Amino acid sequence: MHEIGVREIVTYAGLTFNWETLCMTWLTMAIVLFISIIATRNMKLVPSGWQNVVEIIVNWLHTQASVTMGKRGEFLEPFVLSLFLFLIVSNWLGLVPTLASPTNDLNTTLGLALLVIVMVHMLGFHFKGGAYLKHFFQPVAPFVIINAIEEVAKPITLSFRLFGNILAGEILIIILLKLMPIWMPIPSVVWLAFSIFIGGVQAFIFTMLSMAYLAVAVKDEHEDA
Amino acid sequence: MIELNATLLAQVLNFLILAGLLRAFAYKPVVRMLKKRQDTIAANINRADADAAAAQATLKEYQDKLNSAREQAQQIVDEASRRAAEERARKLKETQTEIDRMKKAAKAEIERDHERAEEQLRKEVVELSIAAASKIISKNIKTEDNERLVGDFLSRVDKKKIGDFSC
Repeated sequence: MHEIGVREIVTYAGLTFNWETLCMTWLTMAIVLFISIIATRNMKLVPSGWQNVVEIIVNWLHTQASVTMGKRGEFLEPFVLSLFLFLIVSNWLGLVPTLASPTNDLNTTLGLALLVIVMVHMLGFHFKGGAYLKHFFQPVAPFVIINAIEEVAKPITLSFRLFGNILAGEILIIILLKLMPIWMPIPSVVWLAFSIFIGGVQAFIFTMLSMAYLAVAVKDEHEDA
Repeated sequence: MIELNATLLAQVLNFLILAGLLRAFAYKPVVRMLKKRQDTIAANINRADADAAAAQATLKEYQDKLNSAREQAQQIVDEASRRAAEERARKLKETQTEIDRMKKAAKAEIERDHERAEEQLRKEVVELSIAAASKIISKNIKTEDNERLVGDFLSRVDKKKIGDFSC
């Protein structure tokens, strides 16, 4: 299954799909949904146990979102939360033997990055209209070239950062398992632990950057943070 | 290894579905619950404030009542002691009058006894005189002399000199 660089391809209605990526995505979605629903059902007015953890996460996100994105950004909170949960479960899924991360496929990361960037521009235009277009020409008109490069760079950096980190982690796990004899598991275990850390950090970075980009589009400049 | 195809669109769709489901099934309940808790706490604080105000009002009311009761009690005590003082003065006066009256009665009684005793004495004196006179007469004294003696004697047994006798 883990033959590096070779992907199982399925063709449907003239479109090509990476079958493994799709399966792993659905598995990730199932896990995220299962965990979320388990964690949030039976909410009580006086919290106890797991509910405290869930509430701390939601409250923390709420604080982060309102600080970065302002009042208008509140409706994006579930989107940001979903993004983080999806990415962290995706990244860690590849660390389970025989499974793979959906995020080791550029299609996934670029898809999400483009989704974020398209949302940024649409929301920016929706909320600010002409002023949003004008800000590409700030501080002087020729800067539009640099701004354009920046806008194009955003989805590319966002997607390749995540994709590269996760793919490299998985490749190295496979290589380490092949290189090391089974009685020498320490390098694999260490790398696995590091990959868990990397998976969390990358999910966090992707989410925070998305939130920052969205904030530019959504936040009211006159609003006090 | 890096090839873009329709998976990209599928992944976007997948993620949007996930985001929608999470929003409906996980995010909304948490937010709703947090809102509900906030409302409950706010309501509780309001109610606590109202209760405290009511308690304060009740306390004030009772304190007022207590104060007026104390005042009333003081009034009652004052009234009672005033009446008691009046009663005492009245009783004292009555007793004084009674004592005066009794004194007067006793004096009158004494006087009456005195008079009676005087009368008695006078009678006895007369009898004794007569007896004495009889004895003298028996020793042959003239009747005229006898009467004069008796009269003399009687005039000496006067009211004012009765004190000289030991009755």
